[in-house]
Amino acid sequence: MNPFPYSDEAISENELMFAIPSTIMGVSILSLPRKLALDTLYSDGWISLLLAGVFFAILAVIGTKVASKFPNQSYFSYASTLVTKPVAIGIVIIQIILFIGLSAFSIRSLAYISQQYLFEHTPMEVISLSFLLVVVYAVSGSRAGLFRLNVMFLPIILIVTIIIAVFNITWIDLKNFLPLFKTDMKGYIKGFQTSFEVYIGYSIVLFYVGLVNKPKKLTKKVIVGMSIPIISYIFIFFVTIGIYGNMVTANIELPSLGLAKRVDIPGGIFERIDTIFFTIWTMAIFNTASMLLDVAVLLITSIFKQIKKRIVTFILAPIIYYLVMLPQEIHQVQTASILLSQFMAYFTMVLIVSLFVIASIRGVGKNEKKS
Amino acid sequence: MVRSIMNRRKRKKNSQPQQHKYPQNLSKQLTSNVNNLKQILGEPHDLKIRQLKLGEGNITCAITYIDGLVDSKTVQVSILANLENAKQLPTEGKELFQHIYNKLLSVIHVEKGKTLDEITLPLLSGSTLLYIDGVETALIVDTSGGEMRSIEEPVTETLIRGPREGFIENLQTNLAIIRRHIKDPNLRFKTHQTGRRSKKNLVVAYVDGIVNPALVKEVERRLQSIDIDIVLESGYVEGWIEDSFLSPFPQIMNSERPDKVVAALMQGKVAILLEGTPFALLMPINFSNILQSAEDRYERWIIGTLLRGLRYFAAFLSIFLPALYVSLLTLQPGMLPSMLAFSIAASREGVPFPPLIEAFMMLFTMELLQEAGARLPQTIGQTIGIVGGLVIGEAAVQAGIVSPIMVIIVALTAISNFAIPAYSIAISFRIIRFGFLFASGIFGLYGIILAYIMVNIHFVNLKSFGVPYSTPFAPFFKRDFHDVIVRSPIHQIKDRPEYLQPQDTVSMDNQGEKK
Repeated sequence: MNPFPYSDEAISENELMFAIPSTIMGVSILSLPRKLALDTLYSDGWISLLLAGVFFAILAVIGTKVASKFPNQSYFSYASTLVTKPVAIGIVIIQIILFIGLSAFSIRSLAYISQQYLFEHTPMEVISLSFLLVVVYAVSGSRAGLFRLNVMFLPIILIVTIIIAVFNITWIDLKNFLPLFKTDMKGYIKGFQTSFEVYIGYSIVLFYVGLVNKPKKLTKKVIVGMSIPIISYIFIFFVTIGIYGNMVTANIELPSLGLAKRVDIPGGIFERIDTIFFTIWTMAIFNTASMLLDVAVLLITSIFKQIKKRIVTFILAPIIYYLVMLPQEIHQVQTASILLSQFMAYFTMVLIVSLFVIASIRGVGKNEKKS
Repeated sequence: MVRSIMNRRKRKKNSQPQQHKYPQNLSKQLTSNVNNLKQILGEPHDLKIRQLKLGEGNITCAITYIDGLVDSKTVQVSILANLENAKQLPTEGKELFQHIYNKLLSVIHVEKGKTLDEITLPLLSGSTLLYIDGVETALIVDTSGGEMRSIEEPVTETLIRGPREGFIENLQTNLAIIRRHIKDPNLRFKTHQTGRRSKKNLVVAYVDGIVNPALVKEVERRLQSIDIDIVLESGYVEGWIEDSFLSPFPQIMNSERPDKVVAALMQGKVAILLEGTPFALLMPINFSNILQSAEDRYERWIIGTLLRGLRYFAAFLSIFLPALYVSLLTLQPGMLPSMLAFSIAASREGVPFPPLIEAFMMLFTMELLQEAGARLPQTIGQTIGIVGGLVIGEAAVQAGIVSPIMVIIVALTAISNFAIPAYSIAISFRIIRFGFLFASGIFGLYGIILAYIMVNIHFVNLKSFGVPYSTPFAPFFKRDFHDVIVRSPIHQIKDRPEYLQPQDTVSMDNQGEKK
């Protein structure tokens, strides 16, 4: 018996609100300005970022609407109601693979970057294994605990990001922003597509809305949650472009970390703040990786109800480790993760829209019970 | 989960504990009663028996008590003298018994006992027994007293400003001290008996109407599960009822400061006081409680806030400083400004060990010194300070085993650790400090952040009586933040902590009326 019901396994609305940006913002933010700068001219990338962000925010809201039609039901069970069980199993299996893959690739990217930035001699295998073990430790604990971790880490991450940006403001050259709107339509669309991969985490609403305890203003919270990464991305993009200009940004591998490099702490206690920034950013990548893995675990346990969550996590761990170590070169990782995330973006897009359409046409869910 | 496995294993053993129970009734014969008692206790010489003849009927009666447990003045003045000076006593046993019970004993608490079981426990707790020949009932007169320590300033938690009284080993006195602070009729003391053989009184204290009733139920449920023969100190109780015995962090706070206990009770917590120990247990707690000192509220709020901030910083240094130093020196040397890096490198010239080993050796020596200092008698205790200071500070550096900067780091770490108000959490910090040290020795900053994430994972999963350890950060309680990082001015702290889900949420009646 628990004297404090709030500490039960249920997730609160606010925790979901924190979880959305935590899942979305991960490794991709480090290279995002470069990719956008490649696709668009001058500072125009923000338009693609914003449009993609709004687009996915709308999708997230639609997903929330679908999921909240079936309160206290798992994703698998309401998907089965909507599209029959065999189809739902197929969809869920595809999603499990996608989430496991994305989780693995984010771990691999982290290991790669930390090898670049923090230590050269430690083997990649050890770096990624240690990180994976921490992720497994988190996921094998309680799910509410995982959400609480998001709540605890996100403010730290955002504050550090803002500090980095603020320290850089003096370096911004306004000439770098101008001229505006020079990109052609093709460039915008390309940028729009590139932005897909930084927003894919939004689809967690599909899986977690059912677990939210007493939702009241869920849509609003989801919108707030979605706007945090949109604003942070645009903010970071602007600062990077403002400092480096489009050309340089397009040629730096991780421009966001480059920002941190320029920070000079008055008093000179530390140099090379990018190390600290990246260390803090490890927490963001941890949040992403653990949430993605948790989704996979959640989906598996929703199909195989008799298997315990902890056991699923332990079974998945070696598979993920194999996936992490599978690509030989970092380029392969990048290509694979771009492919995966593009596929996932389209897949989820179609999925959410069709679920919504089916739910509306058939009128199932909460509305049905009322009438 | 682990606990359930252990319980299962215990059940397999299935050895029923030997119960020492004497449900036997008292007999009419006084001599046999006295002899029975002697036999049960093994004729100890501290069992005092005084037989006397009363009244015209010359009825024999016996007064028995255990020397040292009773207040002998009470026995003499309020029992013995009264009996001897009494006149016109009834001549028949039963009437005499009633007469004594009703009129002759000038002691407030008198009971009747009919079985050996009923009388031995009070006797062993300091009551005096009065047998009368021909009556199957004995009178149990509460005369408990004897020597006890006087109320002194608590040794483990000293304050500059605040009450100077601390709990003592006597339960009644401790309860009285609490009562003096809270003159509310809703203050509840529920007594339990713990320990199959020690049979110590244990009191669950809470303020009815503030506390969450489910919490009290849960505490009592766990207390009832205690099954050991002796409960020496409240640490036994803590170990039995805490949520996770694998965690390095305490989930129950202990304190020997009555004011701290009272403050906790008024917030809606539950306190457990045990006979024979000055340490009371407070539950539930969360991480932010642990770095708060009672004094935060006694000083003005600016000072309280700043000192609390200082303590948070001290906690940070206490855990991270050696690890950060090692990682900056070995894996991330680029982070140090070049001048500082040079001066550190120069000071490390000739040091034969890598920074990790050096730090570990010094920290380990520090731990040894602390432990030795705690065990030594106070008079010799100072010597260890001098020896330790010399060993750590001078000789080691002179001998070239450690660098002077490492000495500074270790000293800073130790000092920071002393700034943490609760010993039980300070010691947890000392444990995880080593974890961080090794993590940073292997992975540098990356290792530190991984270890930090792991501690956080542990925090969000750890609960203290159902309260997540990470409250009020996550689950987030906005209103509780007036007393977490900032200690708001006293008149701003209107609400009791929300994470405790108290019945009465507001601590101010006029300003903070419920909406």
